[in-house]
Amino acid sequence: MSLIELKEVSKLYGFGDATVVALDEINISVSKGEFVAVMGPSGSGKSTLMNLIGLLDRPTHGSFSLNDRSVERLRTNQRAKVRRDTIGFVFQSFNLLPKLTVLENVALPLVYKGITQTRRLKQAGAMLERVGLSDREQFYPKQLSGGQAQRVAIARALVNNPHIIIADEPTGNLDSQSSRLVMELLADIHKSGGTILMVTHNPELTRYATRVVFMHDGDIIGDEQSALGQVPKLLKKTMYSLSRFSLEDDLAGVSVLMKTFPDKIEKQKARKKIQPKKRATKKRTAKK
Amino acid sequence: MTFGNNMKEALFSLKTSRWRSMLTVLGIIIGVASVVTIVSIGEGVRKQVEGQINILGSDTITVRPGKSVTRNSEGKIIDVNLLASQSNGSFSNNDYEVISKSKNVLVSVPFSKISAVAKTDEREFLDGNVVATTSELPKVLKQKVLYGEFFDDKNPNKNIAILGKKVAQELFNENVPIGKSLQIREEQFIVGGIMDNYANNPLSPSTDYNRTIFIPYETGKKISGGQTQIYQVLVVPEAIGLTDEVAKNITINLQKAHGNQEDFTVLKKEDTLAVTNGILKLLTSLIAGLAGISLIVGGIGIMNIMLLSVTERTREIGVRKAVGATNRQILNQFLTEAAILSLAGGFLGIIVSLVVDYAIALFTDIVPAITFPIMGIALVLALAVGVFFGITPALKAASKDPIDALRYE
Ligand SMILES: Nc1ncnc2c1ncn2[C@@H]1O[C@H](COP(=O)(O)OP(=O)(O)O)[C@@H](O)[C@H]1O
Ligand SMILES: [Mg+2]
Repeated sequence: MSLIELKEVSKLYGFGDATVVALDEINISVSKGEFVAVMGPSGSGKSTLMNLIGLLDRPTHGSFSLNDRSVERLRTNQRAKVRRDTIGFVFQSFNLLPKLTVLENVALPLVYKGITQTRRLKQAGAMLERVGLSDREQFYPKQLSGGQAQRVAIARALVNNPHIIIADEPTGNLDSQSSRLVMELLADIHKSGGTILMVTHNPELTRYATRVVFMHDGDIIGDEQSALGQVPKLLKKTMYSLSRFSLEDDLAGVSVLMKTFPDKIEKQKARKKIQPKKRATKKRTAKK
Repeated sequence: MTFGNNMKEALFSLKTSRWRSMLTVLGIIIGVASVVTIVSIGEGVRKQVEGQINILGSDTITVRPGKSVTRNSEGKIIDVNLLASQSNGSFSNNDYEVISKSKNVLVSVPFSKISAVAKTDEREFLDGNVVATTSELPKVLKQKVLYGEFFDDKNPNKNIAILGKKVAQELFNENVPIGKSLQIREEQFIVGGIMDNYANNPLSPSTDYNRTIFIPYETGKKISGGQTQIYQVLVVPEAIGLTDEVAKNITINLQKAHGNQEDFTVLKKEDTLAVTNGILKLLTSLIAGLAGISLIVGGIGIMNIMLLSVTERTREIGVRKAVGATNRQILNQFLTEAAILSLAGGFLGIIVSLVVDYAIALFTDIVPAITFPIMGIALVLALAVGVFFGITPALKAASKDPIDALRYE
C-alpha cells in the first residue's frame, strides 16, 4: 500500500502558444518510510512535482491519492487541512517569519490547528530540542546561521507529526558543513520511520536516500532503488559526464542528463513523435 | 483557529509594525474625534437650550410674530420654518392688548425691543438689547433679581432700568451699580436692580438676558414715540390645565385681529422644546454626517495601508498557507488586524475629543456633553468602518496562491 500514488499526472501552465508542460503524465508511487531523492536539471519539473504532492498546487490532469484518499479534487480549504496534518515543508530559502522568534516559528503550524499557546510553545520547544537548537528559542531568524535556520525550518516541518516531509533543495543555500548537519537530521527522521521527498542537485547527497528519481522535461526518466550510503550507478555516470559537460553543450542546450541517458531520451522523443499524447493542448516549450 | 489565537497573531503583527499601525489608525482617530466632538457639542447645546426653555413655567405660552411652525389637524407640529422664526416681524401694542385680554389669561408679559444704545458718562453699551416689559416678568421667567428689585406697577412711567449681569459689569465696571444713572435715548434712567446670571445659550445670543436692560413697558413706549416692536409675549393661564384652551383663545383672537391670517405662532412649552430639539438634532446630524466623511476617508486609509501591507507580507502569507492555514484563517487574521486598528483608533479618537471638548468648554459658552451612548456608537462606527474597509485587503491576502506567494521576493 503506497502513501503517495500519482497516476498519469500532468501539470500545464499558461494557455495556447505559451503553454508549458511542467509535468507530463507522470506515474510514481511512494511507500511509507522511503527517502526519495529527486534529481534533474533546473526546469525539469521537480518543484512542480513537490508542490503537487504537498497539496500547494493542483494537477491539471491525472489522479493523485494520499494515504489511499483521492485528493486531486479537494477544495482549497480541505487541501489546507490535509496539508496541515500530512505534510511538512522544508524550503531552500528556509522561509522563517522574520518577526517571530525561533520558538514561535516552530509553533506556527499549530496555530492553525487551534492549539492553545502554552501547548504550542511546549511542543515547539520539544521539536527544537530534537534538532539541537534549544538554546536558540528566543532568537530571531536573522540571528541564526543558514544551517541553524534550516534546522529550525525542519523543526517547524516536524511539529505537526506529518506523514511526509517535502524538502525542495534544502541544502541549496548551505555550505557543506551545514549541509551535512541538515542531512544527518533528515536521515535521523528517516531512520525513525519518516517518509521524505527531497530535491537536490548534489549527487553526493543521494547517499542518504533509498531511492533516486531522475526528471527531465517534465518526465521521470530514471527511478532506481539505492542502498543507504551509496551513490547509484547511473548517477555515477552522470557525475563523470559532468566533467565532459562543456560550455558548447550549455549553449546548445544539452544537459548532463541527456548525455547520461541519451538512448532513453531519444527513444522517448521518438515515441512522442510517432504517437502524440492524447491532449492537443499540450505543447512542449520547456527549455532544453 | 480560535478567536484568541487570532487576536494574538493580529496584535503581534501590529506591534511589530508599530509605525505603520499608527499611521493607519490616524485617519480613524481624526474621523472619530470629529464626529464625537460635533455630536457632543450638539448634545451639550441641546441640554443648554433645554435648560433655558425650562426657565419658563410648564404652563407658560409663548406668542411670537411670524408663522414659524406648521401643524397638522391634531395640533402637532409637523414642520418648522426656520426663516420665519428668524424674521423680525413684531406685534403692535394692539396685538398685545388682544393677547392679554383673551379669556383665562392670568398674566401676559410683552418683550418689546427698543432700538437704543445705553450709555453712561464714561461708557457705551453696544453689544446688547434694551427690552421694555412689565413688572410680571420675574414671575414668568424663573429668573431672579439678584440685587435690588424689579420695577413695580405703582408708577409705570418711571425711568427705572434693571440690568443683566454683564451689562452691569461692562457699563459700570462693577457688580452692583444700583442707584447709578444711565442714558437711553437721551433719557436718564436709574438702575433699580441686577438680574441673576442667565444660563446662556450659544445658539441665540439675541436672547442673552445677561446682556439685556429691562425698562418698564410704558416708559419704552414713551421713548420710542408710541411705537412698539414686541418680538414675544409670554402668557400664563389662570390655572394649570387651561393651557390648551388659552392657546386656542389667543390664536382665535389674534387671527380675528389680523384679518383671519395666522401670521404668528403660539407655542406651549412642550412645543418649544420639541421645536428646538428638532432643529438641533437636524443640525447636529448634518454636521456629524459631514464629519463622518472623514471617518470614511480614514477607512480608505486603512484599506490602502493594509493593501500595501498585504503585498509586503506576501511571502509570510505563503508560509502560513504552506504550514496549513486555510484561506478563511488568513482572512480572519487580516480582518482581526483591521478591527483592532479601528477600535484602537476609536478609543484614541474619543480621548482626543474629550480633550477638545474640555478646551471648548473652557474657552466658549458651549459646554459639550459626551455621553456613554455617544462613545458606544462611535466605537461601533469605527469598528464597522475598519471591518468594511479591511475586507478587500483581507480577501486579497486570503486568495493569494501559496506557490506564487512563496516565490515572492
Ligand atoms: N507558475 C508558473 N507559470 C509558468 N510556468 C511555470 C510556473 N512554474 C513553473 N513553470 C515552468 O514549469 C517548468 C518546471 O518548473 P519547476 O518545477 O520549477 O522546475 P525545477 O524545480 O525542476 O527547476 C519550468 O519550465 C518552469 O518554467
Ligand atoms: Mg525547483
